[in-house]
Amino acid sequence: MILVKNLKRYYGTGETAVKALKGVSFEIKKGEFVAIMGASGSGKTTLLRILALLDDATEGEYTIRGLEVSSLPEAERSYYRLTQVGYVFQDYALINEMSAAENVYILSMMEGKSRKESYEIALEALDKVGLKEKHNRIPDELSGGEKQRVAIARAIAKKPDILFADEPCANLDTNNSKQVLDVFKELNEKYGQTIVMVTHELWHTEYVDRVITFEDGNLVSDEKKRNR
Amino acid sequence: MINDIRVGALIAYFSVKRGNKKTLMFIVFVLSLIFMNLVFLPSMIGGMTVLFTGMMQDYPYGDIVIEPSGDNTYINNADSVLQKVRAVEGVRAATKRLDAGASIEHKQKVVGATITGLLPTEEYDVSQYPYIISEGDFLGELSRDEIIIGAMIAGTGFGSEIYDNLGEVRPGSLVDVTYSNGVKRTYKVKGIMEGSFELVDLNALVNYKEIEDVYGLEESKATSVVVRVDKQGSEDQVKDKIREAGVNEQIFTWADKSETLIKQAMQSMGAIDTMSKFVSLIVGAALVLIIIYINVLNRKKEIGILKAVGITPRSIVLSYAFLSTFYVSLGIFAGLILYFSLMFYFQVNPVVFYETMEIRPQIDYMLLIESIVTMLTLSVIAGILPAWSVSKESILKAIWSR
Ligand SMILES: Nc1ncnc2c1ncn2[C@@H]1O[C@H](COP(=O)(O)OP(=O)(O)OP(=O)(O)O)[C@@H](O)[C@H]1O
Ligand SMILES: [Mg+2]
Repeated sequence: MILVKNLKRYYGTGETAVKALKGVSFEIKKGEFVAIMGASGSGKTTLLRILALLDDATEGEYTIRGLEVSSLPEAERSYYRLTQVGYVFQDYALINEMSAAENVYILSMMEGKSRKESYEIALEALDKVGLKEKHNRIPDELSGGEKQRVAIARAIAKKPDILFADEPCANLDTNNSKQVLDVFKELNEKYGQTIVMVTHELWHTEYVDRVITFEDGNLVSDEKKRNR
Repeated sequence: MINDIRVGALIAYFSVKRGNKKTLMFIVFVLSLIFMNLVFLPSMIGGMTVLFTGMMQDYPYGDIVIEPSGDNTYINNADSVLQKVRAVEGVRAATKRLDAGASIEHKQKVVGATITGLLPTEEYDVSQYPYIISEGDFLGELSRDEIIIGAMIAGTGFGSEIYDNLGEVRPGSLVDVTYSNGVKRTYKVKGIMEGSFELVDLNALVNYKEIEDVYGLEESKATSVVVRVDKQGSEDQVKDKIREAGVNEQIFTWADKSETLIKQAMQSMGAIDTMSKFVSLIVGAALVLIIIYINVLNRKKEIGILKAVGITPRSIVLSYAFLSTFYVSLGIFAGLILYFSLMFYFQVNPVVFYETMEIRPQIDYMLLIESIVTMLTLSVIAGILPAWSVSKESILKAIWSR
């Protein structure tokens, strides 16, 4: 489903350029739950942003379902982000002035769905992460784990092709982390959701099918945990 | 596009609904002041204009003034003109006057002045002259060898420090008048008139017969025929009717007159007015822009997030246009309340000049509408420009860089 070939990302130019990705290649199949690991600064976030079309690669090929997405014009990339890609930010990135439901349903509105339908979709997604009751709360009235789950609801409400999550449990305690990971696992197992998740914690890999490890901008290992 | 508008409106709505109310109030307050600034001074100047034109109606020109045509010095047969005018529907009163240039002398002090010859009894219906005698009495029908002197040249009134004056002239003082044709007369001062207005207080009044006599005029000559109408606002129609009645002299309404006169007298005022409007507009535009810009910069991260999750830049830009239009609308609304309260206050407590001139600011609805439209247009630009420039930034920069 995702095919990455010799992907490079340099920040800056010339001598001082930071080579965050030095040419990585891999493939991710539909329905896979993949963990990306590696030391701090190894290029995990950089990769994820490129895959989610939040950033551009300096060089290399990147196709989703055979579609060369990196060369799409901005308007189409925007539409792609809206409809095909879910992204869970490390720091939630919720809009503070919108309630949990509003944070989610604004996207369906953007797709052109009616307000009522959008609200129903949002509630359904919030239900999946166990937050239906708190749909009226604004982010300030939610705990870190709840905020992260709202962010997940926002990412999955559109039923994206691929769900990306950048250290979704970084700010959470073990309990909250487990809740979030359970949500991912359920999505993956029940709905066949493709998930690419960056993580630091070894125990998180219990939940995934495959672990890709980065070191200093290079892919150094790709290990199957179990077959699907 | 419909989706963009829908989502833009929704984002704007949420950010108003849950945004910081104190910030909102502060922004609205500043915007209301900007609006006030646009409309207040012009209203004061409008008030001065009204005061000024009112003076012109009350003293030299009435509602309508008839003056000699062509190069003639006098209206010939003013009585027949008066007869025709008085027969016109909508005319309340009319009288004839004779203006003459003269110098007035009292105890070695000399000043130049226009002396107006008038029919004292008729003036009660036409002008305010009879009602502004501060000392002594107004002229009587049979007054001869008597004069009314303006307070500024008499040397008693407000403003007499600025102008040449006769020292302390009081009722009963004798003054020597030399007319432009060289004829000399000695008059007893019957009264001092004080209108707190140069056009009045720098002049003098005598009986119409006096001027007729001095210049040896016959057959009822006049330098002007002054007309008052029944209903304010009907001046133009009455003017046309007077012409239709067969009056072939020049006919002006007070508005015609004040246009030229005000243009001269208020030229500097007008320049200040235009300049202040211009400056207020620039300052207003800059402030609106800055306020919205700061607002947008504060939400840079939010804009990045919205973009990252797939909200179109167009919706985001629109949301700021809506937002700033909303702010500005509230600002205008608050400004209007402030403005009308101030207007009301000044109607009750007018600004006083020269001790007696009361200036009540005038509400110019055209200007209000103009200012509202200007502010709203500005608000759209002020909302769109900064949001557009931020939404053009890359998502990475918007979200993760400070
Ligand atoms: N915007 C940027 N400008 C310049 N250099 C950057 C930028 N973003 C990341 N880098 C650099 O690129 C390299 C990879 O960064 P990246 O954020 O991808 O690491 P990471 O693996 O996600 O690390 P962490 O586990 O700490 O989140 C790092 O050396 C980082 O300093
Ligand atoms: Mg990272």
